[in-house]
Amino acid sequence: MDKHRQGATASYVVLALCAVVWVVLPAAVHRFAQEAFAEFQAPALHLAGKARDLARFWELKSRDKEEILAASRDLARANAALELQLRRYEDIRKENVRLREMLRYNPPPEHLTVVARVAVRDSSTWWQRIVIRKGSDDGVRAGCPVIFSDRVIGKVAVAHHTTSEVDLITSPNFRCTGFLEGDEQNRIVLVTGAPGRGLASGRSRVTAIPQDYFYPVGNAPKVTTTGLGGVYPAGLILGHLEGGQRTTQDGNFRESSLTPTRDLFALQEVTVLVPKYPTPGEILLEDQAQKRLDELR
Amino acid sequence: MRETPEAEALPSSPIAKARLYLVFLLFAVGFGYVIVGLALRQLIQTGDLKAQYDTQSRRVVLRPPSRGLIYDRNGYVLVENRIRWSIKADLLALQPEIHRKYLALIKAERVRGAPVEFDKLQDKARLDVLQGWLDRVWYVIDEAQPNKRGGARPRPVRPGDEPERRVNPADLRKHLRERRALPFVLVTDLAFPGSGRALRPEEGQRTIARFIDQFPVNGPISLESDIVRSYPHGSLAAHVLGYIKDTDELPEKVNELADLPMDNLQKLQYTGKKGAAGIEQTFDAVLKGMSGWELWTKTSSGYNKELVASNPAQQGSAVNLSLDRDIQCAAERALAQIKDSKGELLPGAAVMLDVNTGEILALASQPTFDPNRLADRVTQVYFDEVDGKGGWMNRAIQGLYAPGSTFKVITAIAGMRHGIVDWDDILECGPSFRVGARDFPEHDPAGYGQVNLEKMLAVSCNVWNYMVGVRLGQPRLAAEARRFGLDTPLLTHVSDLVNGSPYELPYPAARTLVVPDAAYKQRIGAGPWTDGDTANSSIGQGYILTTPLHMACVAASLARGETRTTPSIIHDPGRDGRHVGAEPIGLTEAQLTALRSGLERCVTEGTARTVRIPELPYAAKTGTSEYFKNGEKAHLAWIIGYAPADNPAVAFCVLVEGQLDTSTWGGKTAGPVARDMLTTWARKAETPTGAQPASDCQRK
Amino acid sequence: MVWAWFIVLLATLPGLWVADLLTDALAGTNLVLFISGAAIVAPCRRLKRWQAVLFAACVGFLFEARRPIPLGTLPFLLAGLSIFLTSNRILLRNTPLVLRGAVLCNTLACTAWFTAAGLRAGAFARGDLGDFTLQLLLQVGFAAAIALLVFVPLALIQDAAMDRTGLPPALESP
Repeated sequence: MDKHRQGATASYVVLALCAVVWVVLPAAVHRFAQEAFAEFQAPALHLAGKARDLARFWELKSRDKEEILAASRDLARANAALELQLRRYEDIRKENVRLREMLRYNPPPEHLTVVARVAVRDSSTWWQRIVIRKGSDDGVRAGCPVIFSDRVIGKVAVAHHTTSEVDLITSPNFRCTGFLEGDEQNRIVLVTGAPGRGLASGRSRVTAIPQDYFYPVGNAPKVTTTGLGGVYPAGLILGHLEGGQRTTQDGNFRESSLTPTRDLFALQEVTVLVPKYPTPGEILLEDQAQKRLDELR
Repeated sequence: MRETPEAEALPSSPIAKARLYLVFLLFAVGFGYVIVGLALRQLIQTGDLKAQYDTQSRRVVLRPPSRGLIYDRNGYVLVENRIRWSIKADLLALQPEIHRKYLALIKAERVRGAPVEFDKLQDKARLDVLQGWLDRVWYVIDEAQPNKRGGARPRPVRPGDEPERRVNPADLRKHLRERRALPFVLVTDLAFPGSGRALRPEEGQRTIARFIDQFPVNGPISLESDIVRSYPHGSLAAHVLGYIKDTDELPEKVNELADLPMDNLQKLQYTGKKGAAGIEQTFDAVLKGMSGWELWTKTSSGYNKELVASNPAQQGSAVNLSLDRDIQCAAERALAQIKDSKGELLPGAAVMLDVNTGEILALASQPTFDPNRLADRVTQVYFDEVDGKGGWMNRAIQGLYAPGSTFKVITAIAGMRHGIVDWDDILECGPSFRVGARDFPEHDPAGYGQVNLEKMLAVSCNVWNYMVGVRLGQPRLAAEARRFGLDTPLLTHVSDLVNGSPYELPYPAARTLVVPDAAYKQRIGAGPWTDGDTANSSIGQGYILTTPLHMACVAASLARGETRTTPSIIHDPGRDGRHVGAEPIGLTEAQLTALRSGLERCVTEGTARTVRIPELPYAAKTGTSEYFKNGEKAHLAWIIGYAPADNPAVAFCVLVEGQLDTSTWGGKTAGPVARDMLTTWARKAETPTGAQPASDCQRK
Repeated sequence: MVWAWFIVLLATLPGLWVADLLTDALAGTNLVLFISGAAIVAPCRRLKRWQAVLFAACVGFLFEARRPIPLGTLPFLLAGLSIFLTSNRILLRNTPLVLRGAVLCNTLACTAWFTAAGLRAGAFARGDLGDFTLQLLLQVGFAAAIALLVFVPLALIQDAAMDRTGLPPALESP
């Protein structure tokens, strides 16, 4: 017989008490514990990301010299063209600012951009996340949009010191508004992530598609951000509408799935758009912990 | 030997033993009863109990369908359904938070030493928690918040705020009483969250987007979208389209629930809508669709738990109106230009018909209302505002007026049909005509001298009509008016569509139409009929009462050379052009030609010459009749006619209730409305359908 | 030795990180390579109870810290399991029994976090229970298989670390 058996009941009781205390503890304590364990793992995540970069480096290193020369030549050309375009955009930007001033039109939210490498990807039925190697030390805040080129990748869910977790647009925690390509009335549709089914990873759903919205057969219409909500800039691509549209429960709308424009799990690098001033949504996210604390008092 | 305690406890005497056995027996019987009862319930009554469980633990939620759309004759949407986003709070998910708040409140009361009123505190806790969430919602959606730079936190509601920023305790109580299982609505319409400010559509879009893009996803606050009625052109054709109101009677779909004891199931329903006026009312059966249902299991406290089965709602069918959006718009705009000397809008009506089919292209009534403001509920303030202007009445079909000189057409036809006068007879018309002891005046003090039919129609000579009318006598004059259907209700249901009303539009003038005769005058107690009454009748004055739609039908009938036109507000491409009760007009070719040419001369050189359209010759007859408005004499301005003169396609009638200083005249006041309608029609008729220029009647 | 639990934890960390990296490789599917439940079994054979409890709670927190799971679910469950295991070491007396324990612990812990995360994501409010059950079975089945596969190498590393700290050997069956 195990000699430790005698005290088991007491241990369970103590554990139960601890659990009760844990539940009643202020949210700040929970958050502290979570942060501590997340930060503890941060170096490992950085290491994993770096290892991936290294692997990529060696992979490139093993390429033929000719091939790399050709690629760099192409790149130089592309750079020159982009340089030209940049100058044109600068002019357009200035004109835009002038016009907005004339019309007294609210400027769109200004964003600072933070480029971040992807450390690891983490997906399950209930979350679709990537961990990036930039955090609150680099100015990243929870609630900031994450993009790659002109495509929306997701939204920062939690920002730690040197890493952040990003909810991808397929994650059930993601929600934003979109416009459908070819809808002249620019009616808002709702893009949300949805839990995965079977082995298939999560997917995005487009709901509130008007019953009278039609698009050319054989064409997957683009869904773009509206730019109205003060978070995402306008015109970023969320994905393409899939064919099979179903009429919703109440018969008022149709809904469909959204194919993200890019394999979200193949990304190496993303850009976090940090609004110059925190949006109310960000402040609410921040405040939830504070609110819980107030309630407990 | 020491007795064991057990032995001590046992009774030793036989009586005591018997008592013990009795107790055992009683226990045994009791247990037996319980066991048999349980077995009975478990084995035999299972079916019944299961059914009882089903009915007690389930409920049906009925969801109203979205209403069918209403189109004009060219397929432009006149009434549609707009997406409405609302924000709701899940009370079940909020329960822990409410409970925490409740405990905190109790604690606070005890600390204060006040007597604790638990019910009140429970209500307060619920209200406070919901208010906290509403504050957060407003914090996100309100762009006017001065938080942009400073990172201000959500602020609690303040006394001066809009009422929508505050959770209404009465609403909450009502919700808990009647719809506890449904989420509580925090914001009814995200696009128009507050009543204090009128939002432009793009601002509304921004409010919706701010909530969706920014508000934390996981939580007790959910976003729901539904459909509300929207009238994209605002008040355009409001009297025809009507508006809707809330109803608790949903169109049910009971068949598919047949395997459930539907009667015993608790039913819960969202508020539906039904037509309250206009086409929305008369074609409600077509537009309303079929309700959907959801079968839910419920928790012991009455909240919805799990969705068992459901059936989606089915949208109502569309109704295609015969109206032409652009002509309707032109008519309403022109009517809105007519103001009195104080700059106030004069009431009026305008109708345009397709001569051949009788389909109504425009049916306008001024003043009007905006059905969008009635889509949710009619506020007393808005009701009174519209009522004060007399805006609820559809003057085109409900307004009863003396037709004035436009009636002279009928007097002339009656005269010719009965041989009293012919088209080329010339009558000597002085400045007045004596009937009995009274002089009936000409409107030109000098008189018109020698007048034939054409000239009479062009200059609208009164004396010609007095002479003909008196010689005809009232019975024959009234019979002619009846032959043209002036006493027949119009817009009676002629469509194949199922609807609940005998009329295409609600309450058209029917029994109140008056084609007077001696019997009528006796009936209203005004004494015996006199020749003076006949003279008055011959120029459309006196007791006769008709509607603008009737006079438009008279014009259409004239244009076709028939007596009746059956108007319809429903577009039907298969209409054969036959009209109920119509017969040939009964004039010779020469008489009819002269009649028509008189009407054309009215436009080219007569009373309607100010509203001539050089590129579109048309025929018209103006009229200016007298009536009493608020006890004072005023003028009614009329114009009826058809166009084009040589090959009539449309007929029209415009009426304006003139102002008290009698400065209103048929051609001058009502004419411009007719001209605008006709030019719009002509512009559209020239260009083939599908290649029509962009309408200036844009969505609002 | 007082710090034995921490040394075992450090020895376990690489295993947990490798699991995270493999989850990364599986990112196209919905499967999480979960071994935290299996990781507490070998230490529970040799660590003192309070040490085992601390170790288990830390393993739980490490898994939860970066994932949207109601915080505390896994640590408390694993701590409870560790109390049970340390008080019934007889149940872990030979290799097949230890393997069985690892599989059971892993599936139990997996069920717990999956359900808790589902609750938080509002899976039950939406009412798609059939789908939830399917996903749960898939994930739990995968967790059981992974526990079978990775337990032996993980336990060898943990045992080596415990040997170094001088902990008494585990109870073996006669």
